Amino acid sequence: MLKKSVLLLALAGLSLSALAAELRVMTHSSFSLPKDRIAEFEKQNGVKLSIVKGGDAGEMLNKLILTRANPIADVVYGIDNTLIAKASAAGILAPTSSKVGRTEKDAQLPGAVAVDYGYVTLNYDKAWFAKAKLPLPATLDDLTKPAYKDLLVVQNPATSSTGLAFLLATIADRGEDGAFKWWEKVRDNGLKVNKGWSEAYYTDFSRNGGSRPIVVSYATSPAAEVFYSKEKISESPTANLLLKGGVFLQVEGVALLKGGKEPQAAQAFVDFLRSDGVQTGLQTKMWMYPAVAGTAIDPVFAHAQKPAKFSNPSLAAMNGKTAGWVSRWNRLVVKQAN
Amino acid sequence: MNRSLALPALLPLAFLLLMVAAPLARLLQEGHAGFSLALLQDSYIQWRLLWSAGQALATCALALLIGLPLAWVLARFDFAGRRLLLRMLMLPFVMPTLVAGMGVLALFGPHGVAGVNLQDTPWLLLYGNLFYNLPLLVRAGVDGLEQVPASRLAVARTLGASPWRTFWRVEWPVVRPWLASALCLIFLYCFAGFGLALLLGGQRYATVEVEIYTLVAYELNLADAGVLALLALGVGAAVALAYAALERGITRPQRLAPTLRTPAQGWPQRLLLAAALAVLALCCLLPLLAIVWRALQADAAVWAMLAEPEVLAALGNTLRFASAALLLSLLLGLCHGWAAQRWLALRALVFLPFMVSPVCLAFGLLLLYPQYSASVGLLIAAYALLAYPFVAKGVLSAAAALPPQLPQAARTLGATPWRSFCRVSLPLMRPALRRGLAFAAATAVGEFAVSLFLSRPEWATLTTLIYQHLGRPGAANLQLALLLSCLLMLFALLAFVVIEWPEKNHARAD
Repeated sequence: MLKKSVLLLALAGLSLSALAAELRVMTHSSFSLPKDRIAEFEKQNGVKLSIVKGGDAGEMLNKLILTRANPIADVVYGIDNTLIAKASAAGILAPTSSKVGRTEKDAQLPGAVAVDYGYVTLNYDKAWFAKAKLPLPATLDDLTKPAYKDLLVVQNPATSSTGLAFLLATIADRGEDGAFKWWEKVRDNGLKVNKGWSEAYYTDFSRNGGSRPIVVSYATSPAAEVFYSKEKISESPTANLLLKGGVFLQVEGVALLKGGKEPQAAQAFVDFLRSDGVQTGLQTKMWMYPAVAGTAIDPVFAHAQKPAKFSNPSLAAMNGKTAGWVSRWNRLVVKQAN
Repeated sequence: MNRSLALPALLPLAFLLLMVAAPLARLLQEGHAGFSLALLQDSYIQWRLLWSAGQALATCALALLIGLPLAWVLARFDFAGRRLLLRMLMLPFVMPTLVAGMGVLALFGPHGVAGVNLQDTPWLLLYGNLFYNLPLLVRAGVDGLEQVPASRLAVARTLGASPWRTFWRVEWPVVRPWLASALCLIFLYCFAGFGLALLLGGQRYATVEVEIYTLVAYELNLADAGVLALLALGVGAAVALAYAALERGITRPQRLAPTLRTPAQGWPQRLLLAAALAVLALCCLLPLLAIVWRALQADAAVWAMLAEPEVLAALGNTLRFASAALLLSLLLGLCHGWAAQRWLALRALVFLPFMVSPVCLAFGLLLLYPQYSASVGLLIAAYALLAYPFVAKGVLSAAAALPPQLPQAARTLGATPWRSFCRVSLPLMRPALRRGLAFAAATAVGEFAVSLFLSRPEWATLTTLIYQHLGRPGAANLQLALLLSCLLMLFALLAFVVIEWPEKNHARAD
């Protein structure tokens, strides 16, 4: 009898240890880290990471808000400075901090722990401009002139976070009315709108067979072009067009979710994202800059530039207004084009 | 009879209740406080609705106009490679929208081979719609025309009817229900279309589903989204009911020896065949060829990436998910199709999965089953939901063509209803069942479940992987995405050939 119960207990113990705790991490669809780093984290903390991708960052956040009564994750990565106000207002985030590393001056993200940052800006096709013998536009207003007709493609801010970031950059620079005046003019000058980054970059951008030599993308995209080139090239075929009012600083972060389980493992994951291994590893995986100051920057980033000037609208100014701006933008740019 | 049909109906009804009705109701409940019809007075929304319906109708009309003659040629003439061509016709179905868009733009884009830039015109959108949907109509037309009894055609001809008159009086009545169900599906697909419209037609030709998506996924405005989704559901239901009523009014054909195909003879027939093949290639195969052509230019280093573990894992996932979804689809489709013979509403319900706004469904499921939101079970159920209507449709059409005498004879000889179904009806329906399964397979490896549901990195299918690579800049990413698309086509074609492997007995019966 005793033997039997000992055996049962041992079996129960075995099955318990086989069922390691599970940490549920919600991310946007671009999340990507080196596999060995993730395995290392699981081993060190004795948890199984269950990563769940919830679509584009905006969509992911809404999924979290809708399910806040029964949280579907313990930690969320990928909420950025355009979304943090909405996340805080919805009350889904638990206070989160990390003692690992010091955050870069530009990469502040109140309400969450900053992990990485980057700049949404215009990219241009070098070969196209060389062939057309057209000087590069020097200001956003140049893009409303006849010489630059039909050159620009942007993403719809209603379906793309890059599109939204670019819209916010113009509003931060010119004010709401000024920005919409510019959008109206650029619309009349043959602006093209596509659904998301992939669609714009791979079907409209002239570098990939489209008709538009200027596209809204990231300041690191030229570096990625070199990294993912067919034969190793030393110069990027694209470059940044850093115009005033056309650069948006995006800071992405991680936070604990209210009602989440495994708080200890969740905190460990937050610290893990700030660790040197992840901070160096994420650069050529997600094409963002590390938020922790003093992290070594990958040499391929030499092909990208960090803009000296950029828009970083205050979170308070954006809160609650974004949806209205996006709707106004769609009515102006898409509807009037009918 | 009635009781034996009621039982199998329970399974698909329960499935639809759990997977469609309940999630949708849950989503509507979440937003019901803000319901207002004011939205519908907005001229912007009105334009979206009208355009959605208009382009769907235009696509149906074009598909019928182009597809029926093509189907007739494919059903009447025999030629080498005919069977493979019919399988290849389903390939557009598996193409991720973005890749298909690239193929179309390679032909009719700014630097297209055709030399005309149709991007941002409604023509390109209609072409894209045809690319995806013409195969549906052509295959349905071929299936229908093959049911036309040879003796009737012979009689009509002997009595001096012109080929034209023979078509209208003999062939058209037989093929009509097959076409009606395909057109119904095409309308629903185009009406709820999402990515393609944006990619090819540009923003001004966006469909109402784009509005719903924006309202749900970005603005979390469930009230307005609910109103639009209900409206779209109403339009879809009206179309499906109209189809169901139409099909019911058609008498069952006697099963006589079906018409045989003959090789094209003489110049006029050969010319006709060549013209039909050319049109088919132009509408459905050229964009695929453009993708293959671009992919083949990839460098050795990119080819080598095909052997990476992530690609193999994605191939394995695609195979696993698709087969699981197919098994479930087979069960659901058989039950639903068989039971729907008798009830008009059940017949219209076959199309329910295509009537509901996909994004509303995805968010509704998330709200209703948060604990299962990232489970394999729900993922496979979602795949099966969109795949099984094809099986049900096949069963329904085949059941309508069954001669009632055979199962009756079996029953007289003492067979139980179950035995009579398994030994008599099922074998007779097998070819249609296999065709339905092939389309279901095409849907199951497609992108729907990829884009709207929660997913896990370890679940990545080929389609997910393609989108992942198209989410980053750089020539290598583009080339690998195109190569993976070719791999997906190859995989799908293989699946179609296996699923529709010709049956010896059946071939003789034909």
